[in-house]
Amino acid sequence: MSWTLLRGTLHQNRVSIFWFSFGLVLYSWMMTWFYPEIGGNEYAELVETMPAEVLAIFGGTEVSFASLGGYFQTEYLGLMWMVIVASALIIYSAKAFAGEIAEGTMEFVLSQPVSRARLAITRIAVMVGYSLALAAASFVPIMVFGPKYDIDLPWDTFWTLFAFGLLFMLAVGGFTLMLSAIFRGAGKPGAIAAGVLVVLWIADLVSNFSEAAELFDPTNIVSYWQPGKIINGDPVDAAAWWLYGGVALVSAVAAVVVFRRRDAA
Amino acid sequence: MDVISTSGLTKYYGKARGVEDLTMAVPQGAVYGFLGPNGAGKTTTIRCLLGMLKPTAGSSSVLGERVTLDGAALRRRIGYVAGEVRLYEKETGRWHLDYVAGFRGTKGPLTAELLERFDLDPSRRVKELSKGNKQKLALILGMAHDPELLILDEPTSGLDPLNQEAVYSVIEERVAAGRTVFLSSHVLSEVERVCDKVGIIRSGRLVAEEGVKSLLGKRLREVEVTFADPVEASLLGELPGVDSVVAVSDQSLAARVRGDAIDGVLKRIASRKVSDIRIQHASLEDVFLEFYRGDDATHANDEGGEVR
Repeated sequence: MSWTLLRGTLHQNRVSIFWFSFGLVLYSWMMTWFYPEIGGNEYAELVETMPAEVLAIFGGTEVSFASLGGYFQTEYLGLMWMVIVASALIIYSAKAFAGEIAEGTMEFVLSQPVSRARLAITRIAVMVGYSLALAAASFVPIMVFGPKYDIDLPWDTFWTLFAFGLLFMLAVGGFTLMLSAIFRGAGKPGAIAAGVLVVLWIADLVSNFSEAAELFDPTNIVSYWQPGKIINGDPVDAAAWWLYGGVALVSAVAAVVVFRRRDAA
Repeated sequence: MDVISTSGLTKYYGKARGVEDLTMAVPQGAVYGFLGPNGAGKTTTIRCLLGMLKPTAGSSSVLGERVTLDGAALRRRIGYVAGEVRLYEKETGRWHLDYVAGFRGTKGPLTAELLERFDLDPSRRVKELSKGNKQKLALILGMAHDPELLILDEPTSGLDPLNQEAVYSVIEERVAAGRTVFLSSHVLSEVERVCDKVGIIRSGRLVAEEGVKSLLGKRLREVEVTFADPVEASLLGELPGVDSVVAVSDQSLAARVRGDAIDGVLKRIASRKVSDIRIQHASLEDVFLEFYRGDDATHANDEGGEVR
C-alpha cells in the first residue's frame, strides 16, 4: 500500500466522505429520537394498515413492526440506508480506476513510482476506510443517543450490526471496484453496479409474493440484509456472512488482477 | 548506451492502429525529437514506453530495463509531461508538488528554481489556472526531481514565447548535465531549436529517422512573388529544387521551394523588378507529405539516416 496515495485519495474524497457520514449521523440520531413517539404498538397498528406490497418495499415483511428492529428496518436501515451507502460507495469505486483513467489523472499517478498493485490495493483500502466511516456514522449514534430515547441495544447486537453492515458495504464497493477496473469512464461501472442492486432488490420484493423469484435468494445480497432481525437479537445466517465476505474478497482480488493487466491511459 | 530502444513495438486498440512495428533507439545524452502529425501514434508510443499501455506486439526497454506494466522502479528515474495535461482540478499546485514528492520520497531538488523560472504561483487551484499555467505546473512536476530521462509530449503547447524559451533552456541544461530528452512535437521550430535527431512517425509507422540538419535541408518554403511586369511561370519553374510553380496572375507566381534551392530562387527573382514578396515555411506536415508520401521502402538518406 502507498501511504502517499492513501492520503491523497482520502483528501480528494474528503467532501463526499464528510457529507455522507454527517448525513448518516443525523439520520440515525433522528430515527433514534423519533422512536418513543412513533415506535411500539401504535406504530405497528398504523403500519399494518398498509398493503403488504408497500411494506415489502421497505423491508417490513420479515420482522414485527411493534419491535425495535421492525421500526428501524422499515423506517431507516432497510431500503433507505442501502440506497445511501450504496450511492456513496458506487460513486467512489466507479471513479477509483475507470473514472480516473477517462479523466486522465490516472496517467499522472502512473507516471509516478508507484506500482499498479500498490495503487489498486490502496484504492481498496480507501474503500474499506470509507465503509468503516459510514458504518460508524450509521450505528454508533444509535448506541450513543439510544439510552435517552428508551433504546438499549446490547453491545453484541451493535457489533453484529456494525460488522454485517460493513460487510454489506464492502461487497457493494468491492463489486463496483472490480467493474471499475474493467471499464473506462465512471458511468458504466456505476450504472451496472446500481442496476444489479436494483434487480436484486426487485427480485427480493417479488419473492415476497412469488416463489419463482426465490431462485435469486441464495445469492441475493439485498435479501440477506435484515438489520431488523439483528436488532431484535436474531442471529445472522452463516450463508449471509459467507456471501457478503465472498463477494467482497473475490471482487477486490479480481480488481487488483484486472487493473495490473489493463491499459491504463 | 541507448536510453530508449524499441523492437517491433506495435499497439492496436481493437482494430484501430496506434503504432505499428516501431523500431528505434535513443542514445544517452541526446534530445530526440519524435515528430508526426496529430494521430500519428506519438502519444501511444510514449504511453507504451511508460508502461501505461500493453503493447500488442514487440518490446521496449528504457534506461536498460525492459518496460513492463508494473515498472514503478523504472518510473522513479523518468520524468514525464503528458501532452494533454490532466491534474486534480480541485487541488492546488503546491498540493501536487507535495503529492509527487511523497511518491518520490524527496522534494524535487529543482522545484524552487523551476517555480521561479516559470513564474508560477503554486498556491492556486488547478481549475483556476490558465492552459499555459497548467502546462507550466505539469512541466515542473515532471522535471523537478531531475530525472535521468525526460519524456515530454508536446511540452510547449499553450506556452507563450518567453516560457517556451525557458523550457528550451531547461532542456539544454539537463542535456548538458548528461540527461536524455525524448520530445514529441509537431512544431518544426521547436525541433530545430533543441533536438539533435528526429524520428518521423506517420500512420503509426516510423517513416524516417535522421539528424535535424538533414531535416532542415529538406524544409519546404512557399514563395509568392508579385513582379512589376508580366512574367512566365518558367522563370522559376526551370530552377532545380522548385516544385509546383503556379501563375497566380500575369505578374504573380507562387512556388514551393526545397531546402537550399531558396538561394537560387531569390537570385532569379532579383533579376526582375519586384513589387511584393512573401516567403513562409511550409508546415512540418507538408514536409512529411512532400518527402515521405507513399514511400514505404527503406533507403539511406544523405546524412546516413534512414528512411523507412
